[in-house]
Amino acid sequence: MQMPKLRTSLLGACAGLILAAVPVLAHHSFAAEYESKEVTLTGVITKVEWTNPHIYFYVDVKDASGNVVNYAIEGYPPNTLKRTGFTRDDLKVGDTVTVTAYPAKDSPSRVAGREITFPGGGKKFAGPAAGNGPPTTSAK
Amino acid sequence: MTIHLTRLLTVAALSACLGFAQNAKPIPRLANGKPDLSGVWQSGGVSLYGEPGLSTIKLPPPVNPPPKREPMPYQAWAEAKTKTFTAADDPTLRCLLPGVPRITTMPMPFEIVEKPKEVVIAYESYHAFRIIPINDKLEHPNDLVPTWMGDSVARWDGDTLVIDATGFNDKTWIGGNGTFHSEALHVVERFTLNSDDTITYVATVTDPKVLTKPWTTGALLRRPPNTRVEEYECIENNQDVSHIEK
Repeated sequence: MQMPKLRTSLLGACAGLILAAVPVLAHHSFAAEYESKEVTLTGVITKVEWTNPHIYFYVDVKDASGNVVNYAIEGYPPNTLKRTGFTRDDLKVGDTVTVTAYPAKDSPSRVAGREITFPGGGKKFAGPAAGNGPPTTSAK
Repeated sequence: MTIHLTRLLTVAALSACLGFAQNAKPIPRLANGKPDLSGVWQSGGVSLYGEPGLSTIKLPPPVNPPPKREPMPYQAWAEAKTKTFTAADDPTLRCLLPGVPRITTMPMPFEIVEKPKEVVIAYESYHAFRIIPINDKLEHPNDLVPTWMGDSVARWDGDTLVIDATGFNDKTWIGGNGTFHSEALHVVERFTLNSDDTITYVATVTDPKVLTKPWTTGALLRRPPNTRVEEYECIENNQDVSHIEK
């Protein structure tokens, strides 16, 4: 029973070596632009910009008073999304989606998107978790 | 005694890492016998390692881990200056070229094309490219004007490709926030292709005008699966710059 423990701890140490070296730089600083407090938005996609350095999609969200606010939601760059299995066709104008997100410091209707729930119930990450760096990557 | 123990433990740990490495096989070589670094490589990012804390991607530990990043040894005045910068000052926020060694640590893939007398590195991030002649004397052109990516030449040190980069402007950041440098920046990069099909990347940075001594950083490069280098037109819809500056 000792060996598996040793093996695990050594693997952990080796993994630590790798993680320490994983680069963490990217296009912009998450903390400089967004709050770390998560909000959840549900609404209808009105526009999709599959662009660099980040995608944006826009969602009409009704507030408690029935007023509609159009949110701009930033995500990873297109190539990163494609490589993680999130394609342009996943975002369809007219679809109702739920998105967890972090509000921008300068505008509450501009957010960094995290997890999106599609009409069929499927979920994908549109951007990074707060604290995991810029929406470009898994950066520090 | 302590030193011996430390050494023993280090050897044991390295042996363990080596033991866990999978698929060890001879490294590919060009006809001239030099290691063939050609292919698509990447140093980090969710497309390589998955979402931090949630990833199910399992990769064996590297046989030749790169050195850990140490604090940068700035001269006192320069250290103070680094603290005057904010994220809004990052040149890459404006989609400007990241310079060396930062470009290689960007979390996007790049392709190395190796020929007997020349190495070309095409980076997805910021459309950066480096055309690097191999000459044993590491001679740079004598008409250099400072640029974002500088000028690179290379030689072989055994099986390690050594790139000597100079001719930089003083507008890029070396690594983290505010890590400015002068035009005296000189970077020596070492690319070692390992038996586990990784590259150990080690960059040694000198800049006597702002640093007190050479600074070394590193990265482990892996081949991202099913990945080709694609377009990244950063300026296309760069909304961040205006929002961060507000």
